[in-house]
Amino acid sequence: MALARRFLMQSSVAAGVLADPVLALAAFTMPDGRLWPQVKVGNVKDLEQSKPVGFNYPDEKSPAWLVKLSGAAYEGAGPDSNIVAFSAICTHMGCPVEFVGDRFICPCHYSMFDPAKNGQVYQGLASDYLPQIALEIDAAGDIQAVRMSGLVWGRVSDAPVRT
Amino acid sequence: MSTYRRKESVPLPPKDAASYNTVCQYCNVGCGYKVYVWPDGAAGGAAADANAFGLDFTSPQVALNGLAYTESMHSVIRKRDGRDYHVAIVPAKDSPINLLGNHSSRGGSNATTTWSDSRSTRVRLHYPLLRVGDTFNAIPWADAVELQARVIKGVLDRYGSDQLAAKIYDHGGGGGGYENTYGTGRLLFTGLQMKYTGIHNRPGYSSETWGTRDRGMHELNYTAQDARLADTIVLWGANSYETATVFFAAHMMPNLQGATTEEKKKFYNATEPMGPARMIVIDPRITATVNAARKTGAQVMHLRPNLGTDYMLANAMARVVWEKKLYDTTFLNQHTDMKSFADYKAKSLQADRSYEDMLAEAERITGVPRADIEQAATWIAERKKGGFLQRTLILYEKGVIWNYRQYDTVAAIAQLGALTWSVGRPGTGTGRQGGHQEGYARPGYPGPKPPPDVDKYVQSGQGKLFWVIGCNPYLAAQNNQLFRKRIGERTAALGRFLSVSASQAGEPGSMAELAARILDGVEKTNGLFLTVQDIYQTETARDAHLILPAAQWGEAELCSLNCNSRLLRLYDRFMDPPGDARPDWDIHAMIGRRLEALYTADGKSDVSKRFAGMDWKSGEDVLASAEKDLYASANTRVPASEAGGLDPEGFKGVTYAFLREIGQNGIQTPVRMDPKTGELVGTERLYPTFKFATTDGKFGWYGTRPWDDHKSAAAVAKYLTPEGEQSYPFWFSMGRNQIIWQTAYHQRHLAEKAATIPLPYVEMSPEDASAMGFASGDMASINNEEGNGVFAVYVTDSVPKGMLFAIMYHWLGTANSLTSPYTDPMSTNPWYKGTRVAVHKLAGPLPSVIETTSFLPVNDFG
Repeated sequence: MALARRFLMQSSVAAGVLADPVLALAAFTMPDGRLWPQVKVGNVKDLEQSKPVGFNYPDEKSPAWLVKLSGAAYEGAGPDSNIVAFSAICTHMGCPVEFVGDRFICPCHYSMFDPAKNGQVYQGLASDYLPQIALEIDAAGDIQAVRMSGLVWGRVSDAPVRT
Repeated sequence: MSTYRRKESVPLPPKDAASYNTVCQYCNVGCGYKVYVWPDGAAGGAAADANAFGLDFTSPQVALNGLAYTESMHSVIRKRDGRDYHVAIVPAKDSPINLLGNHSSRGGSNATTTWSDSRSTRVRLHYPLLRVGDTFNAIPWADAVELQARVIKGVLDRYGSDQLAAKIYDHGGGGGGYENTYGTGRLLFTGLQMKYTGIHNRPGYSSETWGTRDRGMHELNYTAQDARLADTIVLWGANSYETATVFFAAHMMPNLQGATTEEKKKFYNATEPMGPARMIVIDPRITATVNAARKTGAQVMHLRPNLGTDYMLANAMARVVWEKKLYDTTFLNQHTDMKSFADYKAKSLQADRSYEDMLAEAERITGVPRADIEQAATWIAERKKGGFLQRTLILYEKGVIWNYRQYDTVAAIAQLGALTWSVGRPGTGTGRQGGHQEGYARPGYPGPKPPPDVDKYVQSGQGKLFWVIGCNPYLAAQNNQLFRKRIGERTAALGRFLSVSASQAGEPGSMAELAARILDGVEKTNGLFLTVQDIYQTETARDAHLILPAAQWGEAELCSLNCNSRLLRLYDRFMDPPGDARPDWDIHAMIGRRLEALYTADGKSDVSKRFAGMDWKSGEDVLASAEKDLYASANTRVPASEAGGLDPEGFKGVTYAFLREIGQNGIQTPVRMDPKTGELVGTERLYPTFKFATTDGKFGWYGTRPWDDHKSAAAVAKYLTPEGEQSYPFWFSMGRNQIIWQTAYHQRHLAEKAATIPLPYVEMSPEDASAMGFASGDMASINNEEGNGVFAVYVTDSVPKGMLFAIMYHWLGTANSLTSPYTDPMSTNPWYKGTRVAVHKLAGPLPSVIETTSFLPVNDFG
């Protein structure tokens, strides 16, 4: 039920009816004020459970994982709320996290993140949850990455550096 | 989206940002951090020459070698000039402790714990608070000091110092350090001569490690490098991956992975074998440490003793060493006291019994298979190829210190270390891992050894004033439910009396009249006047009459040392405390000066002079005062071979200017003067020539007490009958976890941390969970005769069948409600980690918790 309620709230954000214009803007724009890139990262029919697919978001220097979990996830997309995407970089010291047995684990110092719980760092040395990437799925099953929540390790802004 | 408010960017400090050195406020490891502060609107740029880090952020940092500067390493504060400032607190790349800028999940969020009225830390105490009826009113410091001083003086004059009681921090890091430990010591010991003073996490003024100190071996005798040089590392009752995280990750792990060979070559003999370290973990649980060590690929042994049996395990391992002659006779004869060894041999090694007999009994008592006992002893002490001595580092912590007969447990492990010569040589050491940091500078305690139990004294109706300083006994005291109940009754009795008229509620208005009424009340009601001095309004504060707001880490300078290297550094001040809050030493000085004046006015110069000299203006004044008081006659111009005879935390000659100059490198205590040059030098290992802290320099032995099946802990033994075990079928232990530090005084206010551990929890084995119908997240009511509490169940193979393990000090229910009142008569230290309980299933989980909290196993690294 709670998931459905949040979905409605998100829909209302999408419809632009949120009362707070600053928050509404933040939902659509990167820290530098540009719109978050909308990137197609896969299609529902191609996703196999617990088989992560790599992509980059919001730019090519930021690797990420798209994965269909075995159960519903916080902010999960899709009919079973089990499709999620996260930064693939550990928030501790920047090593690439691996998806093993329904959680992300860092090979360097063993920080572990729960993808069903907002990337919560439930064990290890990382202070920050794994940044989660919001997904939208259209009628054709195409999965779009639409926005980042949380700061990717090693950067001072998720927004791509302007050159 | 997200369960808490995330950031997608952090501002860079500008090149001219104010920068400071500090050390993490939390655990024993003492990671170095750099602090940058700059006014709002003045952020630096991404180019390396445009920010204070001097790093190029136009492209991402490189894993491991780059700088971690994450969401939780930045926050915004307001200074007393009314302007907003940014604070960045990042791991120090030049620290010898958190190598490569490593950091833990706790230290990584130091910045978010800074005080701001615009964030959750707004709940920091801002003003002195006086209980008026059922509310707290803010009052000026002068009035708070007047009231506290007058009540103290009234109790002292009428009843003597034995009716003054206190619980105080005795540690370094946040809420401690030389300045603050000296401030309390000068007032409570020199000034008030209070022997009813207990320590933050235990009932009396005891050492947790008299079992080793009485042998002449201080518990912090090794240096962090020893974890990189050891052949074998023993972690005994120490879940280091979660409680000394960066020590494990940055020093032990590389050794387990064989990555410290080059460093070993500098210390090992040319033909001495070297390889990746092996690890022995001794813990009833399959902790995260056990499986993290295994994941490195290293050889790992895991011994799982029954609760409260560890000293018999240590003795059995020592017997194996004795039987197999794995000791070094020359070392024993030259550096240990062979007269007391006879007692050790008879009582601990039980050399008069057959080896078979003793090992069989040890297996029965501890539950550890004999073959494992023998193998672990062999790993610790066997000669390497070529006849070289094994280099073994034995570290223990609360699983040992909070054990049954903890004095004997610490002694037995210390003696296993001495028997195997695991001390003084590079790659060795036998000591504690540490909980907090250290930073102890106090005049002598005016009470006996072992000390009285202050918790029981106060709850039994003794003491008129109870001053709780920088600790939270409503979560941390043993047998907590009774403690809270009795203190609550006594403080409430006084509160009711303060209404001048029984039919009305009005209380005296002036501080002098109120103090007189309080003194009248504690006499007539046997009530208790409770003063709480802290940075937050703690659980204990709910029954306080007076609350004194303290400054925290970063809001005043402090000097502390870590546990793995005794590394002394200055923790600099980089911001203002909230409201009128003041450093602890300053609060004690104000009250000391007022007492001095009151006694001077009384014409009692013999008393007033005990408070003289507390006219400190700064932390550095306190440090100078402490140095003069404690070390005026100490000769520290000695070589390293004599270091064992010095105060292990001694800092003679050290000033803030000196510490600022050496920065993150710090200096290892005891600080000595080079005999030739007179320059200040540090001390790597305490006993490099095996000269111990005894009159003859020899390690002294002790024969441990005969095994009694826990009978001397009557409050636990009462459950160890067939009926008791039926009514209370589970063993119950408790301890820390990775996410929250101690009482979670900070983390409970940080959404991302509180959402991870929102409830007190118990670990339960899959077998028990299945038998009782529990799934992870289901709520359980747990009780015994001492107390009860409700915990979320966490199903995990960490605990064996028939045992529960609880997070120790959760703000929604302390595990201590269930702990027994037993203390070791040798030390007055409790056995927090073992009692019996019953479990009852409640109606299921809390749905909101299930939705946002991970219940994945924290000890499974795949």
